[in-house]
Amino acid sequence: MAHSQGWVKRYLKAFCKGFFVAVPVAVTFLDRVACVARVEGASMQPSLNPGGSQSSDVVLLNHWKVRNFEVQRGDIVSLVSPKNPEQKIIKRVIALEGDIVKTIGHKNRYVKVPRGHIWVEGDHHGHSFDSNSFGPQNCIQLPRGCLEREKTCNSLPSSSLLHLELQL
Amino acid sequence: MLRGVLGKTFRLVGYTVQYGCIAHCAFEYVGGVVMCSGPSMEPTIQNSDIVFAENLTRHFYGIQRGDIVIAKSPSDPKSNICKRVIGLEGDKILSNSPSDFFKSHSYVPTGHVWLEGDNLQNSTDSRYYGPVPYGLIRGRIFFKIWPLSDFGFLRDSPNGHRFSDD
Repeated sequence: MAHSQGWVKRYLKAFCKGFFVAVPVAVTFLDRVACVARVEGASMQPSLNPGGSQSSDVVLLNHWKVRNFEVQRGDIVSLVSPKNPEQKIIKRVIALEGDIVKTIGHKNRYVKVPRGHIWVEGDHHGHSFDSNSFGPQNCIQLPRGCLEREKTCNSLPSSSLLHLELQL
Repeated sequence: MLRGVLGKTFRLVGYTVQYGCIAHCAFEYVGGVVMCSGPSMEPTIQNSDIVFAENLTRHFYGIQRGDIVIAKSPSDPKSNICKRVIGLEGDKILSNSPSDFFKSHSYVPTGHVWLEGDNLQNSTDSRYYGPVPYGLIRGRIFFKIWPLSDFGFLRDSPNGHRFSDD
């Protein structure tokens, strides 16, 4: 009897030790380094989810790259939705702070992106809830992640959207 | 000899990583100690006070009117601001100069909150940069640790008349 109790105690001790090592390390890794997410919706077609509702793309969110809040124009980022903080949305960065954006469907024709904000749009104009609806977004809440940087730069969206940098 | 040193180094690195991860989880999901600077929350929080902030309320979307919160600054993602929540989404916010003949008001959009410092004369807050998205809130301050003369839970807002939930 005493022998089996000793065995159980040792097992529990090993389990707790492993638990308190594995769980914080895993959580920190998923928060700070990278995690995997499934993309839903059509606002980033044809880059993401080209198949529509048949298949959802699975992407890697790279948190490490945005740890200093540095994003480039053309990056695809995931951000907390400004309308609903429980939801994350995935969009492409069109303009950084200081840029002037010619908008599609926004109340102002030209918008200057304020300091600490970025302008995001979905690749599928018309089917996208993006900065044309809610204006420039705060850089911090934004980059929750940054995916596949290599494939973004050659496929900037349509020519109706341009960004100008005025040196005043 | 070398194997002993290497073993010790690996063990040290292992412990550092493990405690670093535990610290990250604690600060991110539970709470931590914060030092506040600036005059915008006087008299509730003075410059260089040390307070205790908890993050559980934010994760469960339980921030209420009158809470003092820490949020990322809307104009600089690397710095934090410490203000009081005056209005939640859908609330009507009155204009800040009571001498106006036509009192203008605006509504806080969905997913945003209206923040103001307690020291209204000396605070850059939502009256300057507009409503702040809920996602920028990092934690809620509820307890003051230092100075010891002011130890305890934080007082209510001295500007109670600013809350309007009609």
